[in-house]
Amino acid sequence: MGEEKTTREILEARMPDRERVPLYNPEVLKRIKEEFGRWQSTALPEKDRGNWMVTPQSILGSEIPRALLYTPLDNANLDYQADLGFSGEEPFTRGVHPNMYRGRTFTMRQLSSAGSPEYINRRLKLLLEHGATGTNLALDLATVQMYDSDEPEALGQVGTVGVPVDCVEDMEVIYRDIPIDRISTSIVTHYPRNTAIVFPMFLVMAERRGIPWDKLPGSVQNDFIMESLVRSASEYIPPKDDFRIQCDNIEFLRKNVPLWNYVTLNGYNLREWGTSGVTEMAVAIANGIEILKEMVRRGHDVDWIAERIAFFWSPANDFFEEVARLRAVRRLWYKVMKYRFGAKRPRSMWMRCHVQTSGVSLQREEPLNNVIRSAYHAMAAVLGGAQSLHIDGYDEAYSVPSEEASILALRNQQIIEAETQVTQVVDPLGGSFYVEALTDEMEKRILDEVDDIEKRGGIVEVVTGGWLHQKVTRFIEREQKMVADGTIKVVGRNYFRDPNLKTPDIWVHQYDESLGQAMREKLARLRQRRDNETARRALDALVQACKRGDNVTAACLACARADVTEGEMRRAFVEAFGAWKSPLFA
Amino acid sequence: MAKHGKIRALLAQFPLETHSRGLLTVAGMLRDSGMEVVLLGNALPEQIIDAAVQEYVDVVGISTYCGGELALCKELLRAAESRGTKNGTVFLLGGIFPPANIPKLKEMGFDGTFLSATREEIVSCIETAVAAKKKDA
Repeated sequence: MGEEKTTREILEARMPDRERVPLYNPEVLKRIKEEFGRWQSTALPEKDRGNWMVTPQSILGSEIPRALLYTPLDNANLDYQADLGFSGEEPFTRGVHPNMYRGRTFTMRQLSSAGSPEYINRRLKLLLEHGATGTNLALDLATVQMYDSDEPEALGQVGTVGVPVDCVEDMEVIYRDIPIDRISTSIVTHYPRNTAIVFPMFLVMAERRGIPWDKLPGSVQNDFIMESLVRSASEYIPPKDDFRIQCDNIEFLRKNVPLWNYVTLNGYNLREWGTSGVTEMAVAIANGIEILKEMVRRGHDVDWIAERIAFFWSPANDFFEEVARLRAVRRLWYKVMKYRFGAKRPRSMWMRCHVQTSGVSLQREEPLNNVIRSAYHAMAAVLGGAQSLHIDGYDEAYSVPSEEASILALRNQQIIEAETQVTQVVDPLGGSFYVEALTDEMEKRILDEVDDIEKRGGIVEVVTGGWLHQKVTRFIEREQKMVADGTIKVVGRNYFRDPNLKTPDIWVHQYDESLGQAMREKLARLRQRRDNETARRALDALVQACKRGDNVTAACLACARADVTEGEMRRAFVEAFGAWKSPLFA
Repeated sequence: MAKHGKIRALLAQFPLETHSRGLLTVAGMLRDSGMEVVLLGNALPEQIIDAAVQEYVDVVGISTYCGGELALCKELLRAAESRGTKNGTVFLLGGIFPPANIPKLKEMGFDGTFLSATREEIVSCIETAVAAKKKDA
């Protein structure tokens, strides 16, 4: 590992050393500098001269100091063609498509709710009827953690925060009458193992409906960071094995489901757990780099692999920082793809992303304030050029969103899209002295953190050893103290708190205990009905595939066809790889 | 309680809970307030009680975000009762759950339920409840 060059070193060695062509005339800059000095010392109040740089304190902020005023002097080295270019062209800072939202607006992809497969089928249809343009399936806790509804650990958890999926039959109910070949499907599978288990159930459902896999548009998450770092559970498998499954999924989906985005590098949940926007992006980029290295090692062409990599980000409260870092990471990913991996096709160099507004920034106190917060988060995402958007419900701190909060969040998207006119102009903040300076700073800091991760042995290593877990723990503790002492202002909570604050009358999702029973009965019927010998053989083959290094997704597909359940496949993985406990609790 | 008189708290979450931010935040708060914290992480209700017995803790704090907490809390207290630790231990629940469930949780035996709280509120609840339990014992 120590011998290997880091991404930054590779970029420094390979990026063309052509002379930069500064946008601003040096003679003019010289005059501006003189005038700037005069203005600072005469027009600006004295107290502001001493406090020229201020470090913003916000929830999930990066604490990058900001100047009082930005001028061309902050962009003195800006080379328009090299640093910004035109939308749809290298370096893609201004957007991945030439016409951006004029060509296609952001996909309005609201998460589905919690409840039975039948209920979720109705909710997906309700959102589509109200103008949603894609579906976004949230899985229940048992399904996310890969337990069957009838395992002891699933007590009280079936149908919480999402829909239970134990087997193909559940997928058939959830997507009944939804044209999955025309409306793109997102399935929030979180982990590589979960993807390997649940996504083949979707494929078998499509197969049984007679829809060819090459007609299916959509995305899964498939991110080992989610399992090994962000989420917690009693039992996971070692990160290196999880990383391998992530790559097996990518390989299988790329070959068999060509329109599918097989990995959504998930910064979102890491950031929401507790980290700055810089670390959020650095970790996702470092994972992306590791995936591509592994795929190249497996003999695949970079352009064949890279065109379906997608990202998932969380925009929080510091508005311009959020816009700037979306632009920054687009430029950085382009450089990584072009100069580290030698990608040839523009599409391989695109940083395409889904954005969900920050949930952890939302507050319990005066929940309607959250509508305003989320609108700013969403606006930052749109001004930053996101491809797809979910806006959180204002009742986030109370429960999974009510139907009313869900529709209101969709309306928030529609108002941005249809009323504010911000989608008419591509990258409207491009060229702002402030936004360009902040974009440069963000790109530099993200690459610095990628470099740090690589020097520590790479993403799998820093996760396995617990270095990233500790980093997040420190962030969480520090941030909590800053909210407690008012350093970070939160309106309605520690800033202008209403002394007579009342708990609002808000609908709270009440867990339906009868659903667990219905799912347990369904599983009992399934185990009666299926050919248990075929199921057992498929499971044995899965264990063998894990041990031999064969593609595990293909083995999971055979399991899904044999009506093997999710929990049965989870146990097969643990049998093959052994259990691993998060360094948080070890 | 620890020999030197410090309050000992075990912090855990039920087996499938994915969110740990609340647990880590409260762990930091309690440590800063001079308590000893055993961070157990995810476990079944009976495993949580086993750990509580082994670690001689005064407090068992559970973090829950995803719903369905009533059934699991009931199991937890049933396990505590069968191990004979229910009366001597302070039980707390924090996170996101329906406020309508609070009376049921209190009735079950929870000494504190927190949907949103400051460090001072949590610490004061623990100190009061630990003192009351010691008086009863």
